[in-house]
Amino acid sequence: MTAMTKGIYFTEALARYRADSELGPLPEPVDVYALLNAYHPDYLRDSLVKLAVGANAGDSCQRELAELLQAEAFIDEADLAGTPVTDIDVLVIGGGGAGCAAALMAAEKGARVLLATKLRLGDSNTVMAEGGIQAAIEPDDSIQQHIQDTLRGGHHAGDPALVSIMAADGPEVLRWLIQQGMQFEQTTGGDLHTRRAGGLSTPRLVHCRDYTGLEMMRVLREAVIQHRSIEVWEQSPAVELLSNETGQKCVGAVLTSLLDGRLRIVRTRSVILATGGLGRLHLNGFPTSNHLGATGDGLVLAYRIGAQLRELDSFQYHPTGLLHPAHLSGKLVTEGVRAAGTLLVNALGNRFIDELQPRDVVCAAILRECSEGRGIRVDDGRVGVWLDTPRLERARPGLLEKQFPNLMTRTKIAGVDPRKQPLLTHPTLHYQNGGVVIDVNGATTVPGLYAVGEVAGGIHGRNRLMGNALLDIISFGRRAGAAATANRDRGPKKVTLEHVNRLRRALTIAGMPMTLRSPQVLPDYATGGAWNR
Amino acid sequence: MTIKNSPAEMADESRPVALTINGLAVSAQEGMTVVEAAWHGGVPRLTGVGCMEGVCGSCRIMLRRGDIVSVGLACQTFVENGAEVIFLPPASAPRHHYELSDFKDGWDIHARFQDIFPEAARCRHCHGCNVSCPKGISVEEGVMQASAGRFRDAGEIFFECVMCELCDGACPELIAPAHVGLFSRRVTAHFHLRPPNLIHRLEELRQDKLDKSVSYIDDGDD
Ligand SMILES: Cc1cc2nc3c(=O)[nH]c(=O)nc-3n(C[C@H](O)[C@H](O)[C@H](O)COP(=O)(O)OP(=O)(O)OC[C@H]3O[C@@H](n4cnc5c(N)ncnc54)[C@H](O)[C@@H]3O)c2cc1C
Ligand code: SF4
Ligand code: SF4
Repeated sequence: MTAMTKGIYFTEALARYRADSELGPLPEPVDVYALLNAYHPDYLRDSLVKLAVGANAGDSCQRELAELLQAEAFIDEADLAGTPVTDIDVLVIGGGGAGCAAALMAAEKGARVLLATKLRLGDSNTVMAEGGIQAAIEPDDSIQQHIQDTLRGGHHAGDPALVSIMAADGPEVLRWLIQQGMQFEQTTGGDLHTRRAGGLSTPRLVHCRDYTGLEMMRVLREAVIQHRSIEVWEQSPAVELLSNETGQKCVGAVLTSLLDGRLRIVRTRSVILATGGLGRLHLNGFPTSNHLGATGDGLVLAYRIGAQLRELDSFQYHPTGLLHPAHLSGKLVTEGVRAAGTLLVNALGNRFIDELQPRDVVCAAILRECSEGRGIRVDDGRVGVWLDTPRLERARPGLLEKQFPNLMTRTKIAGVDPRKQPLLTHPTLHYQNGGVVIDVNGATTVPGLYAVGEVAGGIHGRNRLMGNALLDIISFGRRAGAAATANRDRGPKKVTLEHVNRLRRALTIAGMPMTLRSPQVLPDYATGGAWNR
Repeated sequence: MTIKNSPAEMADESRPVALTINGLAVSAQEGMTVVEAAWHGGVPRLTGVGCMEGVCGSCRIMLRRGDIVSVGLACQTFVENGAEVIFLPPASAPRHHYELSDFKDGWDIHARFQDIFPEAARCRHCHGCNVSCPKGISVEEGVMQASAGRFRDAGEIFFECVMCELCDGACPELIAPAHVGLFSRRVTAHFHLRPPNLIHRLEELRQDKLDKSVSYIDDGDD
């Protein structure tokens, strides 16, 4: 490794940039594990700690997340007295794609459903997904190939049973989405159009231009709003789960209101956690592509009630987050842009990695370029590489505008035209690979508690392929919705915070400081007037 | 080619910008969006912020600049000296109700539409919806197409709709154009999207299921 050098300044690099310059050949491939070891944020030594208490005591966990998992709760018994109680068949926590799919399925199966969400219904990571959703529907593709790609992409850390079920659900998931009213891109013959993506052995990505998540979310949101048996509470984050007298079973949740801070208790047979990811914890100081509500609340709640988690040391840093324009810092340029043929180019005007390698590998390669002085620098803190969109425009005129209207619209308000100016990109914290341990019905290790979507783990191993998250949220969302409804348990006699007391005792015995309270609910900078770029 | 033509691009981050947000005086920096400015200024109880890239439709604001009042999305609006910004409350629950599963078939759509959205036929072409749409959608045209039973075309007009429902708030006839748009898109998919490649694979899987020997558990050979 060469010593850290400064790289080239943005304006200079931009002036020097030519869309028709000769690109050198790709360098010889390096040893992937050596590259990951040296540069991927998951492998940074001081970013990991061992958990001291709870179902995963002894397991390795990202440091900032560990602090929240082993923190004090907001709620204690005194808070419950006099708090209004609502009884419902199924409580869904989280109004993204997974939560809406679960709610719709539970309602379809006859349950009365309450969907409580932190912000506005649909304000989620789902709405921001661009690239597409995987399903093996092409004649030369198969469920088996989808399973193999997913397991290989996840470095064989995924649970084959979950992966198999999800891949086999793929075509049915698309049919269900179409039934709800979701549109997809078609070929002239009427087939669903499929794209390639990193780690896929064959084109398998079905999409709605680069607004796949928006199209999915607005359709599911509308379906939920219109459904007679689903009630929606917005601005109502869950801050604690409730357990039975022994603290062994989940029987409800405590919700607060972001508007007036008032608490509400919901009592139920089944709770479905669908709270999404944790990008807004900005692990290891990275920017994030995630929406404001992605603060890992579900992991905290599940862990406190005793649920087992997994792969807490594995996160996805998407290779191409925007560095410029500044107000879009961390925001994503979909992998679809690379899949369409866009190259990554360093400050010297060279390619440095096969752009369609798995995300962790491409991410590590970009971080290597930046740290070895071949990056393009905006200021002291921010260095990136070019995503060479003008070259794509030259090769395939009109493609960017036709296939990526979202990208064009977002950059336009800042006066940047990706057809003329390459985009400055840097890896961004994107996805939580692991999460709550579930079975094929989304059931966690705690009776009465289900977890679906990004909050759940085991499907994507240590690295998720593009398009598998949107599939996983609908596949397992529907499964959990059905299973939670079928749970004919008699329902709670008593709701308690026994699990909170249990963890508190364990923390005391382990001598852990209980200064921090969790879940986080909103990032500090969004509440305390501490925002600075 | 000029690339430096927007406030964000020309921003001099050291230059302060004074504005009010929800009645609170805020000193922001040039190039900040209204969301960033609100955080910077510590504006309390901001619950309408989500994706910060203009796709979730949550951060609805009303904005006064001099004599001009407009609506928009806070994450897509850059700060200006003297601007007065109010974050709007969430839109109220929709007044039009339907479930696609209640529709008989594709022949039934138009009649249902008239029942569900009777106001749509009364559009007075005031352009209120167009003016308020932060995505520049020809909302009024979309409503007209839907009223004429051209749901595919109407839906396409709403392609970039981010569900902010600002057009609903602007419509004097309470047409709920945003929901007309979603209705149009949903019926188009629900009744007309029948992709052969997907249908063929679903049929293969159905056959496989009948033939119980196929299992999708990976044997882990690679
Ligand atoms: C920019 C971007 C692009 C992406 N592109 C793709 C893609 O092309 N293909 C793909 O497959 N995947 C993609 N992903 C990943 C995918 O979108 C997400 O993993 C997936 O949508 C997560 O769905 P979810 O329903 O589990 O979580 P979310 O959609 O994030 O929904 C979680 C919901 O829970 C709410 N919530 C959180 N905490 C609480 C609480 N305490 N109480 C109540 N509610 C709470 C949140 O506000 C939110 O509404 C992308 C992700 C991002 C960020
Ligand atoms: S059509 Fe209406 S809901 Fe959609 S983006 Fe425009 S104003 Fe918002
Ligand atoms: S605001 Fe309502 S009445 Fe006015 S043009 Fe739009 S749809 Fe028609």
